[in-house]
Amino acid sequence: MSQISRRQAIAILGALGFGATAAACAGPGGTTGPGGATGPAAPATGAVTGKVSFAHWRGEDKAVFDELIKRFAALHDGVEVVQDISTSNDYNAQGLQKVRGAAIGDAFATFRGAQFKNFTEAGIYTELKGSKAAANYQPGLLTAGQSGDSQLGLPYQVVFPMPMANADLFDKAGAEIAPKDWDGFLAMCEKLAASGVIPISWPGGDVGNGGQLFNCMIANNAPVDDMCAQIEQGKLKCTDDWFLKMLGQYKDLVPYLQPNATGTAVEPAQNLFSQGKAAMLATGSYHLAAVRGLGATFPIELVFPNTSDGSGKFEGAYNATFILGVNSASKNQAASAAWIDFLSEPGNAGYYANQTAQHVAVNGVEYTNADLKRLSPWLDKKTALAARFQFQNLDVRNAVEASATAVISGTSPDQAAEAAQKIVDERL
Amino acid sequence: MSTHTKMAAKRKAPDSRTETDAANGRRRSPTRVNPALYLFPLPAVAIIAFFLVMPTLQAFQYAITDWNGFSAAFNYVGLDNFVRAFTKDSLFTNALTNNLKFVLMVVIAQTAFSLVLALLLTKNSRGSILLRALFFFPTILSSVSVAFIWKFIYDPNFGLANAVLDGVGLEALQGSYLGNNAQALYWVAVTQVWFHAGQMMVVYIAGLQAIPRELYEAAEMDGAGKWQQFKSITWPFVAPATSIVVAYTTVQSFKAFDLILGIAGNPPKQSLDILSTRIYSTFANSEFGYAAAQSIIFMAMIALVTWLQRRLLRLTPKGE
Repeated sequence: MSQISRRQAIAILGALGFGATAAACAGPGGTTGPGGATGPAAPATGAVTGKVSFAHWRGEDKAVFDELIKRFAALHDGVEVVQDISTSNDYNAQGLQKVRGAAIGDAFATFRGAQFKNFTEAGIYTELKGSKAAANYQPGLLTAGQSGDSQLGLPYQVVFPMPMANADLFDKAGAEIAPKDWDGFLAMCEKLAASGVIPISWPGGDVGNGGQLFNCMIANNAPVDDMCAQIEQGKLKCTDDWFLKMLGQYKDLVPYLQPNATGTAVEPAQNLFSQGKAAMLATGSYHLAAVRGLGATFPIELVFPNTSDGSGKFEGAYNATFILGVNSASKNQAASAAWIDFLSEPGNAGYYANQTAQHVAVNGVEYTNADLKRLSPWLDKKTALAARFQFQNLDVRNAVEASATAVISGTSPDQAAEAAQKIVDERL
Repeated sequence: MSTHTKMAAKRKAPDSRTETDAANGRRRSPTRVNPALYLFPLPAVAIIAFFLVMPTLQAFQYAITDWNGFSAAFNYVGLDNFVRAFTKDSLFTNALTNNLKFVLMVVIAQTAFSLVLALLLTKNSRGSILLRALFFFPTILSSVSVAFIWKFIYDPNFGLANAVLDGVGLEALQGSYLGNNAQALYWVAVTQVWFHAGQMMVVYIAGLQAIPRELYEAAEMDGAGKWQQFKSITWPFVAPATSIVVAYTTVQSFKAFDLILGIAGNPPKQSLDILSTRIYSTFANSEFGYAAAQSIIFMAMIALVTWLQRRLLRLTPKGE
């Protein structure tokens, strides 16, 4: 073996290190996902076998999905579905990176709004238009999974981001549970307060849950239905009269919220409601199971804080999230698509809904869960698609929603609106 | 020539040769070694290159692009991201201001508190050892647990803080704590001090126990009071420990990411947003290039502040 000098050895090691580093710095990005230029293709067909990774963030649904997976596997020999569950925050922040190579997430879920858009731009979805699964959904509820002419995802759950109400406390106070206008809503709060309970429990210390009330407050105030998208584009402003009016209405709510509402996390807010100390919980129907889990036995209704003068366009707000998709980079698209088809069958969707206390967008589902049954009429009402998910930029969304929280904590609507608009302007 | 002299001459030989070579203007011939020996550091070099050098260089590269984190398309934008951070992004400057305030509060409070604890608990009595263990206990908890414990303490409806105030008849002092934008950062600073003061106390106790007792005995004989003894004996001896405590606390406070996110949620509201949480939000907002630029600013700030501290806090005992 010939010998080399120390200097030569160091030079070789240095060159190797430099080469590796330079290679790694070849450029950000990488290969584009399939489908980008030619438009998304339908999932590949073939035998329903092999392993399917199902990526989502709903850890609380794991047992229900486990049962559905068992039923799915019983129908197809040699198929296996594995759940890859992240926390919702992690999934929101890293979901795209996780599923883009399909190492996990042959079938996956996305949040509506920014995440759905990012997944779409990255070419991760296959085309589900005309699929067996899509035919099972209520057509009006499919829009959140559409991009142009394509049906990329299937919005599975339907939630109502509106205050949940303790119907017993409303009866006791003689308060109207379906106020027709803003004055009616405030009168209802007044009656509840007079009866000795906190009218509204609001988790203002939790950005995500506290923000759900915004969907109701903005629905009938905004001049257009895509108001949040227009704020982000600079076409509408937080300093506009309609937005200031909404912030003024937030100010009207202050006497009816629990003390120190802006410092309240979601769990204590749920407890106030479950224990009957508060008549409403201003988060949404997605907390039904949690509230029941905390021991609430009273009948639960939904209340829409109708900000209009009685001529409002909407009677409530809904959201279609947990959008199911099949990964275009998956090597097992046939089985992944079959899994999505299976979840979208009314019987299986019904099982999911009744076990998790979540409505679904699938047609023909029989709700046996008492809460879902009682709240089912909301599926047919004129409800606005939750507006806060129109924001594509999370900084803008947080800033605009924070203006409402600021008003609750004592800032004037004008000042709060200006502070929010400043951040919007910076990101235009 | 004796054996000893021979060996000494042998040892000296290479130097003599170098001097001769240098005098002749020739370079020293390289040492020849078996190349197989150079394979040994290869794994370490590969690991350092792959996990440290490459990501750092990549961060610098991303920082001058508008890459969104997933698209194959991107543009080089020069220093735009750095300029944007300081001139067009009030959320970043707000986080920077919050972070500097937080570091200052925690460094002052934690240094003072841990020194006082150490002074009170230096003696090796049974009570002192028990109290030391109690104050050190939070250090062994995970930051997420600490965040959740204090989130509960601060809760305005069911929290311990308001319950205690209620119990002792001080309802007027009850507050919203984290819900009050003007105060929220102070309350998180209290948590951070509670979390780490015990650890810093141990550093101070080690310093205090190294002080010779004779010095205090002599000082007492000379009639020096407690304050005089602290000023002239204790402080000079614990000064080096202080520079360690300050440097460690500064870096720790800059990176209080997990505590802030645990206590304030994700994303934290503006009054609790610090640089690390802001960078995380920017990554989550699919602004990968801009987030990389913010990370580099963050790294430079920590380096600068640590260097400044080392320059300003050259605290050594008198006589050394």
